Amino acid sequence: MTSIGTSARKADGEVLLTGRGRFVDDHVLPGMRHAAIVRSDRAHARITGVDTSAAERAPGVELVLTGDQAARHTGPIPHFIDPAARGGRRAEVRCLAVGKVVHAGQAVAAVVARTRREAEAAALLVEVGYAPLPHVLDADEALLPDAPRLYEEWPDNVILHNHYGTGDVDAALAGADLVVTETVRIGRTTTAPIEPRGYLASWDRFDESLTVYGSVQNPHQLRWMLARSLDLDETRIRVVTARVGGSFGLKMQGHPEETLICLLSRLTEAPVKWIEDRRECFLSGAREQVHRVTVGATNDGRIVAVRDRIVANAGAVTAQPGWAMPNMSATTLASGYLVPNVEAELHVVATNKPPLNAARGFGKDGAHFVMERIVDLVARGLGADPAHVRRVNLIPAGRFPFRTATGLNIDSGDFPGLLDKALKALEYDTLRARQRELRDRGRYLGIGLAFELTPESADGPGTFVSGFDVTTVRMNMSGGVTVLTGVTSPGGGNDTAIAQIVSDELGVPLGWIQVVQGDTDRCPSGFGNFSGRGMVVGGGSAALAARDVRAKLAVVGARMLGVAPEEAEVTGGVVRVAAEPERSVAVPDVAAAVLTRAFAVASEVEPVLEATRAFKPGNIDHVPDERGRIQPYPTYSNCLHAAVVEVDPETGVTTLADFVMVHDCGVVINPALVEGQAHGAIVMGLGAALTEQLSYDDEGRLLTDRFKSYLLPRAGDLPEVRLEHQVTPSPFTMYGNKGAGEAGVGGAQAAVANAVEDALAPFGVTVTQVPLPAPVVLDLIERATAK
Amino acid sequence: MTRVNVTVNGRAREIDVEPAKLLVHAVREDLGLTGTHVGCLTGDCGACTVRIDGATVKSCSVLAVSAEGAQITTVEGLAGPGGLHPVQQAFWDEFGFQCGYCLPGMLLTACELLEDDPDPTDEAITLAVNGNLCRCTGYHAVKRSIRCAADRMREGS
Amino acid sequence: MITRDFAYHAPADLGGVTAALAGGDAVIVGGGTMVVPDMTHGRTTPGVVVDLSRAGLAGLTQTAGGEVVVGATTTYTQLLRGGELAPLLRRVAGGVTGGPQIRNKGTVGGSACYANPSSEIPAALLALGARMRLASARGVREVAAADFFTGAFTTERRPDEVLAAVVLPSPDGPAFGYHKLKLSESSWPIATAACVRGPGGWRVALGGVAATPLLVTIESADPRHVRAEVARVLTEPWSDVLADGDYRRRVAPVVALRALKEGEAS
Repeated sequence: MTSIGTSARKADGEVLLTGRGRFVDDHVLPGMRHAAIVRSDRAHARITGVDTSAAERAPGVELVLTGDQAARHTGPIPHFIDPAARGGRRAEVRCLAVGKVVHAGQAVAAVVARTRREAEAAALLVEVGYAPLPHVLDADEALLPDAPRLYEEWPDNVILHNHYGTGDVDAALAGADLVVTETVRIGRTTTAPIEPRGYLASWDRFDESLTVYGSVQNPHQLRWMLARSLDLDETRIRVVTARVGGSFGLKMQGHPEETLICLLSRLTEAPVKWIEDRRECFLSGAREQVHRVTVGATNDGRIVAVRDRIVANAGAVTAQPGWAMPNMSATTLASGYLVPNVEAELHVVATNKPPLNAARGFGKDGAHFVMERIVDLVARGLGADPAHVRRVNLIPAGRFPFRTATGLNIDSGDFPGLLDKALKALEYDTLRARQRELRDRGRYLGIGLAFELTPESADGPGTFVSGFDVTTVRMNMSGGVTVLTGVTSPGGGNDTAIAQIVSDELGVPLGWIQVVQGDTDRCPSGFGNFSGRGMVVGGGSAALAARDVRAKLAVVGARMLGVAPEEAEVTGGVVRVAAEPERSVAVPDVAAAVLTRAFAVASEVEPVLEATRAFKPGNIDHVPDERGRIQPYPTYSNCLHAAVVEVDPETGVTTLADFVMVHDCGVVINPALVEGQAHGAIVMGLGAALTEQLSYDDEGRLLTDRFKSYLLPRAGDLPEVRLEHQVTPSPFTMYGNKGAGEAGVGGAQAAVANAVEDALAPFGVTVTQVPLPAPVVLDLIERATAK
Repeated sequence: MTRVNVTVNGRAREIDVEPAKLLVHAVREDLGLTGTHVGCLTGDCGACTVRIDGATVKSCSVLAVSAEGAQITTVEGLAGPGGLHPVQQAFWDEFGFQCGYCLPGMLLTACELLEDDPDPTDEAITLAVNGNLCRCTGYHAVKRSIRCAADRMREGS
Repeated sequence: MITRDFAYHAPADLGGVTAALAGGDAVIVGGGTMVVPDMTHGRTTPGVVVDLSRAGLAGLTQTAGGEVVVGATTTYTQLLRGGELAPLLRRVAGGVTGGPQIRNKGTVGGSACYANPSSEIPAALLALGARMRLASARGVREVAAADFFTGAFTTERRPDEVLAAVVLPSPDGPAFGYHKLKLSESSWPIATAACVRGPGGWRVALGGVAATPLLVTIESADPRHVRAEVARVLTEPWSDVLADGDYRRRVAPVVALRALKEGEAS
């Protein structure tokens, strides 16, 4: 192995650096038209009429489409994860609102024109009549018996109600030395990739086929979904995932515009492009949960029970998988701790806010915030050091695989090892001394720790959240290698790392390999990007396929060299005699021989220099255990975060002073790519901890509609974030790798929250929410000191 | 339509645009240089950064007609016949980007900084990219790339 | 996209600008960093756009009487590179949100005329006792900065007038202090305080905390005095999605005290 474990540069580097990366908005087709969308400014209302006449007369306009018209041509959009498959309720989701709107920002009508400018101008002329209905924006209020109901056919507003966990929480709490109750809230954030969503659909009326270029994560699932909503044969649809400018969950499918833009192309018989604008992009929400927690602990710091009543605000129902994230908040609740008794009750609630969309962390981040707050609350209640309470409760290194109280079967790890490394990197004892010294001078330094457990590479039975993937490795007559894989890369660079794997497994130089992703006509059926799966299953399947091709090269090459196949090895682009490395034949010559001398020197092999393989990792088990729990994850990356902040008690402003993450994602294929992902995820968590929050007015209209009101971290907000690796290989994956890219958000968020509370300990502040922008922190201080 | 004469990446170009057209759209649609990206159209994200007469600007906040007579540099104009610009090379070697969407802004801002200040402090590097949002890298590798480019350019000169 | 067509003028001198403004319905583009995005998002839909970039209004000069004339289209970058005559404005320019791209385009006059309660320039001009030089086809008049800012996003400038320059009564010298509070680098300023030493004490202008910048004269930097004075003038604090009025009321004196502390040390 020469390439795996090295930081090969991004394969698409030169293309991107020279401005030749072709993102969806860079595609131009002959005769292309542009779409603009009319959106509801009401949170909940009946549509009494849509007057399109003025828009239809506007310059350049070719089509104005209403929800009723769209419903004649399209069916409901199938869910990415069907709530019914999880015991919940589904609602009919349409590409344009039919009859009524359930959130401000919902698509009501669409305009197609020659230019985007004409389409936007005409969209302003569409007059929609509304009869207002009572609306509800808060999830707790939506649970009340007399709350306005979003979907008349439902008995209430509950999408999913479920219980999780094992043990006897009541008994454990009764026997505990310390019981703490608290309510903690997680604000609504969003993924905000710098490239918004966009689709270019092209209906070919001659062969009745549809080609869709899109900034999407999951092209094969999107093809299936479009086949259903458009009532087309799947073979008639090609989805091409153009280069993606960041995604973080947003571009998993289920968005109404996917079906809508295809329909507009079909109706106008022209290619139609729609690119989301930034205000539309901010409609997509993530997180937003309330946790009512009771925790019990013994005097030695052991947490004996956790009860959590979770209410998650999912907004209006969408086909996108975001509604399912709170499920993971409940399932991951015990995180990497030994807590024997856990009881979580979850209500996922529909409200008249815009829908939840999948977001990096996929709900696990919520569990980390709550659990890490719990650990610190216990430490505070006992007067113990938070590091000590973590050490007492973290699952020890020798206990894996470990089944948590919420049913996750954690494959491997050394969690106390992470803690040791983090404390050492911080110089923890020295830092605590410095904290005391600064406090004496009226400065408030805080140290926050947070453990994070990230179940990776999920498989949800009966959904397209699939825990395997498929790769084809194909060698051409010149020895060049095309790798076609079902996983996609929204920017993180798994294409480069997959090429590294193929290079090592096939025995050819990295430069010979081209990786193709995201094209349903070229790539084998796979599942794209989510859940840290790219290297676990994309890499694993690429390795298997490369080995198959290599075996043929070895057989034919050995015969060309006049030795037995087992005496030959393939490496560095040659087949050679292992014992006599100078006796070799070039791989391109072997490839040519396979394809041109199939009845002679290559007669022992089937003359196909191509293999398609699936990789199914271990540790996934859909047979329910004695308590009805299934095991959807093969492997669990984990990390420990340490944040150091300084809080200005006069203004509430929090400044990040230092940040350390010790990360264990098992064996690392490309360290620089993994570190890059971790940095990005951490900073996303820092934003969610401090400044990022979607806000709405009382009518449910979005207020935070630009980057000066929805505050992403900028370079000047951040300390030098420090990363350290620990490698505990997974027994269940190809190389012992565990998945990377998702970990970071939840831990960073939790560590900062803990650090802010620690900084303000002299005031007696309890941090009960994220984000913690300055006004919130100042309120916390005032409330604590007023007591 | 208004005729606008500009020199783009060293080449004289003539385009006809409506006064209402933003420079970023003229660059992408009329000049065909799609390496300049649209991220927000509010002047906040920096993905649309180009240089006008040497100064970086957010081209979503500039009317194309106002660029009459200007020298415009876009990301496509950075590499020379000899290959990548040292700033591009450093961003590649140091993993200064992931998806590449914010990259044109980062590269052009870094070039402007290093022309003004060949040996910038860490604080100057941070200030220079403070107008460019990146959601992938957390800026760590961006700053490292600019430091690397500065060091190499000083050694090379 | 800017959906409405407009006539575009980029006059070569001030006379051309005032002539172009005479018809009304015009929006003036200085650096464009605020008004162009406003047009894109339909917040302003002018029939005429007058672009000042070719009108020769940039630069700093000192008159024989010692006054400093800051041309309306002087950019933040120009202040940073040659703003010795206006050190407080230069200080403000260095902290402007949005990176060098915004500092290269954003102008002193543009910020003043846009009159965003969250912008920094208006309060700094107030602290400096600036006069706003307004030109129209009818002539030139000067308005004190204290009278110029009439409300959130509104000023004393009439539709046919252009702000040609701001006049600073004297170089503000070394005795000034400045402090800015914002939630993060992405955030608009939440509260700013600029203070300049004057004959009767410190002229402290508070920005970001009310619809218009507020001026208060502080005789001594005694915290109780400062708090009382700030509370006296801050009767209607500004509220937006980033921070409500109550927060601004609480932090305004803190920001003022910090600016004064810096001023006293200067």
